[in-house]
Amino acid sequence: MDYDTYAPLASWFESTMVGEQMRNIFWLFPMMETLHFIGLTVLFGSLLVIDVRVIGFGRFINMNSAMKFIPVAIGAFSVNLITGIAFLCADPFRYFPNIAFQWKMGLLIIAGLNALWFWFGEHKELQQLADGEDAEFRAKAIAAVSLFLWVAIIILGRFMPYVEY
Amino acid sequence: MGFLLWLEESGLGIFIRESLWGYPIVLSSHAVGMATVMGVVVALNFRVLGYARDISVLAFDKLFLIGWVGFIVNLISGLILFCNTPTTYFFQGSFQLKIAFIVGGGVLMKVVMNSVRGETSEGLTKLASAACILCWFGGVITGRLMAYL
Repeated sequence: MDYDTYAPLASWFESTMVGEQMRNIFWLFPMMETLHFIGLTVLFGSLLVIDVRVIGFGRFINMNSAMKFIPVAIGAFSVNLITGIAFLCADPFRYFPNIAFQWKMGLLIIAGLNALWFWFGEHKELQQLADGEDAEFRAKAIAAVSLFLWVAIIILGRFMPYVEY
Repeated sequence: MGFLLWLEESGLGIFIRESLWGYPIVLSSHAVGMATVMGVVVALNFRVLGYARDISVLAFDKLFLIGWVGFIVNLISGLILFCNTPTTYFFQGSFQLKIAFIVGGGVLMKVVMNSVRGETSEGLTKLASAACILCWFGGVITGRLMAYL
């Protein structure tokens, strides 16, 4: 990304109070990182329950109960959104030009759209599924794409420090 | 100490220190494996603690299998990462705690699974389950803090 494109936005992120505190309090960054990791595990675990059920590998998991992990996933995602924004404020000029960061954000948007499609397009119909019953192919594809995207998002996040210009 | 030095000088140790992409690739696998093991541990213990109780605990067997795959990925990637600087890691407090948490979490997971299938009282099962989830979170926290402490 061109420097001039992201510089104004990056400067704004950098000037926020969150950014200032993240840079000044030495234990804040590692603490946020730890929370980001815990959020990641809870989010991925919730998605595993739902996606493994829909794909059919865990077809005897009760579908309605699996859906109860949706609010857990949303809660964990919120933790990671907040901590993620805090990292961004701490050092935006490092993140914006980072290719792994850019891809990660792109995939996050796709994963979000995929989740919306699951919620508005499939979840009502899926609730009718009896234990052990197979979901439709379309729903299975959405679940598989979800798992693939989130694995890619984790990998890209982990790669960020190693692909700096 | 001799063994640790030998490990550090081994082909694996040299590879992980010197290859350009070796370290980030193994580290990423360690993160994906972590998400998988932890994900299963979290979901399973949520269930045992009473959340989403319509899922039969037995239906979780498939999920448990996925958790094992994640664990093996992390055992292997963890051993490779350890070869990076074994002489440092071995004496590092956060690393020692991390291993202790994982061993404790693993044993408690077994206790929880046994009590779910057996006749242990619900209170005791839930206590073990809560301790189990805390242990595993402890493993993640101390693992992350290895970069700092």
